[in-house]
Amino acid sequence: MHPAGPAAEAIAALWWVMLVGSCVIFVLVMALLALALRRSNVEGRGDGSEGERVWLVGLGLVFPLLVLLALLAYGLVIGERLAPRDGPEVVTVRAEGRQWEWRFSYADAPGLVTEGVLHIPAGTPVDVEITTVDVIHSFWAPRLAGKLDAIPGHVNVLRIEAREPGEYAGVSAEYSGPGYLDHRFTVIAHDADGWAGFLRGAAP
Amino acid sequence: MRDVLRVFGPFSVWFACFSAVYGLHGLVCSERWSAAGLSLWDGRLALLAACIAAVSIQVGVALMLRAPRLAASSGFTQSVSLWLGWAAVVATLWSLFPVVVTSTCT
Amino acid sequence: MTPLRRHRALTRIWASDPGWKGWFTTVNHTDLGRMFMFTAMIFFVVGGILAMLIRAQLATPRSAFMGPEVYAQVFTMHGTIMMFLFAIPLIEGIAIYLLPKMLGARDLAFPRLTAFGYWCYVFGGSMLLFAMLTGLAPDSGWFLYPPLSSTLGSPGINSDFWLIGITFVEISAICAAVEITVTILRFRAPGMSLDKMPIFAWYMLVVALMILTGFPPLILGSVLLELERAFGWPFFQVAEGGDSLLWQHLFWLFGHPEVYIIFLPAAGIISTVLPVMARTTLMGYGWVVAAAVALGVLSFGIWVHHMFTTGIPHMALAFFSAASTLVAVPTAVQIFAWIGTIWKGKPQLKLPMLWILAFFATFVIGGLTGVMLAVVPFNWQAHDTHFVVAHLHYVLIGGFVFPVLAGLYYWLPHLTGRRRFFRLGEPAFWLVFVGFHVTFLAMHWVGLLGQRRRTFTYEHGQGWEAINLISSIGGFITAIGFALVLIDIAINALVTLRGRRNPWGAGTLEWAMPKPVPAYNFASLPPVRGREPLYDDPGLDLRIARGEGYLGDPGDGRRKTLVVDIASGRPEQVVVFPSNTALPIVMALVTGVAFLGVLIKAFWLVPLAVLGVAALAFRWVWSLGTRTDEGLLDAGHGLSLPLASASTRPPGWWGTAFLLVANATFFASLLFGYAFLWTVAPNWPPPAYLEPGLAGPALGLAGIVLAPLGLRLAERLLRAGHAMTPGLAIALTGAAATASAGVLAVLASADPQGHAYDAIVRVIAGYVLIHVVLAAAMSVYLAARRSAGFVSPDRYGEVRIVRLWTDYAAITALLGLAALHLPGALT
Ligand code: HEM
Ligand SMILES: [Cu+2]
Repeated sequence: MHPAGPAAEAIAALWWVMLVGSCVIFVLVMALLALALRRSNVEGRGDGSEGERVWLVGLGLVFPLLVLLALLAYGLVIGERLAPRDGPEVVTVRAEGRQWEWRFSYADAPGLVTEGVLHIPAGTPVDVEITTVDVIHSFWAPRLAGKLDAIPGHVNVLRIEAREPGEYAGVSAEYSGPGYLDHRFTVIAHDADGWAGFLRGAAP
Repeated sequence: MRDVLRVFGPFSVWFACFSAVYGLHGLVCSERWSAAGLSLWDGRLALLAACIAAVSIQVGVALMLRAPRLAASSGFTQSVSLWLGWAAVVATLWSLFPVVVTSTCT
Repeated sequence: MTPLRRHRALTRIWASDPGWKGWFTTVNHTDLGRMFMFTAMIFFVVGGILAMLIRAQLATPRSAFMGPEVYAQVFTMHGTIMMFLFAIPLIEGIAIYLLPKMLGARDLAFPRLTAFGYWCYVFGGSMLLFAMLTGLAPDSGWFLYPPLSSTLGSPGINSDFWLIGITFVEISAICAAVEITVTILRFRAPGMSLDKMPIFAWYMLVVALMILTGFPPLILGSVLLELERAFGWPFFQVAEGGDSLLWQHLFWLFGHPEVYIIFLPAAGIISTVLPVMARTTLMGYGWVVAAAVALGVLSFGIWVHHMFTTGIPHMALAFFSAASTLVAVPTAVQIFAWIGTIWKGKPQLKLPMLWILAFFATFVIGGLTGVMLAVVPFNWQAHDTHFVVAHLHYVLIGGFVFPVLAGLYYWLPHLTGRRRFFRLGEPAFWLVFVGFHVTFLAMHWVGLLGQRRRTFTYEHGQGWEAINLISSIGGFITAIGFALVLIDIAINALVTLRGRRNPWGAGTLEWAMPKPVPAYNFASLPPVRGREPLYDDPGLDLRIARGEGYLGDPGDGRRKTLVVDIASGRPEQVVVFPSNTALPIVMALVTGVAFLGVLIKAFWLVPLAVLGVAALAFRWVWSLGTRTDEGLLDAGHGLSLPLASASTRPPGWWGTAFLLVANATFFASLLFGYAFLWTVAPNWPPPAYLEPGLAGPALGLAGIVLAPLGLRLAERLLRAGHAMTPGLAIALTGAAATASAGVLAVLASADPQGHAYDAIVRVIAGYVLIHVVLAAAMSVYLAARRSAGFVSPDRYGEVRIVRLWTDYAAITALLGLAALHLPGALT
């Protein structure tokens, strides 16, 4: 939960909003429950049918619809923003999963393949084209973005971005057999010079 | 049996329409669509049309449930099915509104 | 007749066989319900032990207790057992035990089917247990994603055990669902109209219909995956035109409704128990019914939320995200209806109520995390971490296990006929409640820190050690709590004092019978005027025992109960039930041989077993009905009713109709799979489409028209008193024609191992073929029934059953052949 890129930041913010909202709702429901338990010890009241409207229409229908509408809209806006859109400076790389390693290749440096380490430029949106040669895997660099599966025969595109140069851990996140635990990779985000150097084949 | 069908009908229709729109979306984003010479804009239009059709069908169902010829045999199933009829209209609007707000195939 | 003599006479008629033999020949729902529940509890213990192994392994980093291979079997079996062998069968058991008693009937609609379902469950479950004990258990997770679960990732027999054992168990679920549906619709007390049904029956009606439409996609998926594994038909292999995503769709088309199939009965229990505990009636009965129906159907439209990370376009994700949030609405309606019920009543904090309160605290959290996961971007982060594991246990344990325990304690006096004397249940409750939250709250946290599910260990220094240890300690406390619950139930069932008939002062009919429960349930069937018959009429139980209801006369020694009109509950027919028989267990055994044949790749066993099943099925149906026209029977209260078997739509017709609902879902899933591969699979189109030619379509169409016509003609002839032969002959000719069209399609699909298209053509053609052949066999059966006198101009209900089946076969043949020939005709 230490976001280091726009996608991960947006999702972390979403999480905190949802956590606070959920806590409020949980406390509210429990308070109502406690109130219901307490109140019923009071003698001499109506048969309770007058409450149906409040409980069922107000709390049962209107309340969740309003909350959900807001949440859904928020989630969709973020989802749209995270989608891989064409842009002038998007860098494209390819991630190919197999039991149990990752191979990365680079549109800007044909023929260059790295194993277990993905190099990207920092501060630039990167599209990762994800696929697999055997079973299903999932590409996940938690501090940079959410995960996306590698499905045989399909190529899925994930937009990631690291704000600062540095090393970021990545794992496969779909169970793939006994070697699953250590099916990892590292993302190295370079500054502009480092990236240029990497593409020239200078520095891994 | 009619009472039971009245109660389960509206949301079953919702499910049918919802899956149909989803299926259409799958087709629009597949290679078959572009192979047939159709663009993403055609796709968006087709999806919109499908949504409008779905909502109309759903409203149609809700109205049909009021028809005296199809009336339920008890007031209970009559009113429960009428609620469900309109709830299904709301569900259709709610679950299909992404057609107008999200990008088509990314 | 005194109540005691009536009791003796009825017991003689309804009792199961004495001694050990009774276990194998009983068809009584009370026995079978108990057997279902007991077996499910055994699986709960097994699944629980596996959970403890998991938590022991994860308690410390780099634990050397289990390696990855063993761990994979353990978590797969834990999930599989809990979902398929514990939760679903427990629900079936509860429903089988309770429904006839709540509805005021003497048994379920098809008693032998109940028994058959039970044995299928036992045999299928044993296969999985056997696999586990021999170390051959499935090991690719409870949702068995190919290619990992297919020959590529699991060349051994492990996955086959899952596919075959679980399919066998699902047959049992389908049987129970058919049975429950027909029972709720037609086997009720006189006067119990739909709006007077106990709320639990409404819930179970929704659940049964969901099983009928939710399980077939998985059965189809399992069949396809097994065909791929056994014969190399590449439905899920991308290089040969398959697609592994198809499995995910089929699995979750089942898997999400499954979650609600588990939750809704629990909600039904709460809606039943809570008002009694609060000494009032349920708030908003109609609202709750509507919410249950809406929830049930909505849950089918949200399966893709398990696939948010598979690269599906954002608009489609948005559809499913929206629909997934929507299910929170009917859930909220129910939650607030329950809280409102407490609010208008005078609740007492008895043990069942404690479990219900625990449900509230737990399930609300599970629901909230569920809504979070329905929000797409968050799902991209949390998917496949321990956050999801924590969420699903909040829902399954909070939303299912807690309410079921509330129900178990509530109905315990009914099950055992005893009072709860030892008070172990209260400390057990607190252990479970506290332990559970410690375990799984912690688990949310490590999930967010990035611990992936299904990883068998973790490293030092990631900050996960303390949380995992706390979670494991919580897990052990929970387990001790559950163990105490089971011990509490066992000793209270075995050793305490006899209890009162209606200890909670409840209003539903199951409390109107003496304890221990007699085999016949009700000495006479009570007329019902309200939702809580015992509140409306406090002396009802005595009048039932005195034989003042319907069918109080033991009469001719046959097992009898009433069939009512669906909507109004007006009594319409008297049904005669079959008595004790070993046929169900034998049939389940022979069915098991067919499954075993596939499992151990002894394929020659399969046709033999299928023949055996056919012969047994023949005996099964042959014993129904009568050879004479009995006219009207006295049902008591001056009411004379015909026998159900002589009606135009006997119970068997209804059973067939609902079985066909499941069957149609299976077929629709198959067509969906075909369309899915056609649009999405990367390596399409296939090398060649089927050449339609003329012979196939012509033969097929001719048969599709002829077979249903023939049966209609046969019915006309029969009712006019003539021989049915010409009609049946036409039907058979039609069946033969359609069958040849099916065979032509099979022959044309030359290379099912080469491309998924050929493989799926074979499956569709095979499906049509099987149904047409069955329809033909049924026509022959009809002819035999006619000559033996079971079918007569006044008793032609069986013709209607065969007609229903034939019509179904014709419709699927039409759709199937059209689907096969269309692509070829278009290109
Ligand atoms: C004391 C009780 C329980 C404990 C401590 C427990 C613990 C766990 C843990 C730790 C996992 C995750 C394993 C992993 O991914 O590495 C798991 C998975 C699972 N559990 Fe439980 N569990 C309990 C009861 C239940 C019950 C009652 C159900 C269902 C009714 C259930 C259903 C599942 C399922 C479906 C999975 C997923 C299996 C898979 O990943 O294939 N569990 N459980
Ligand atoms: Cu789900």
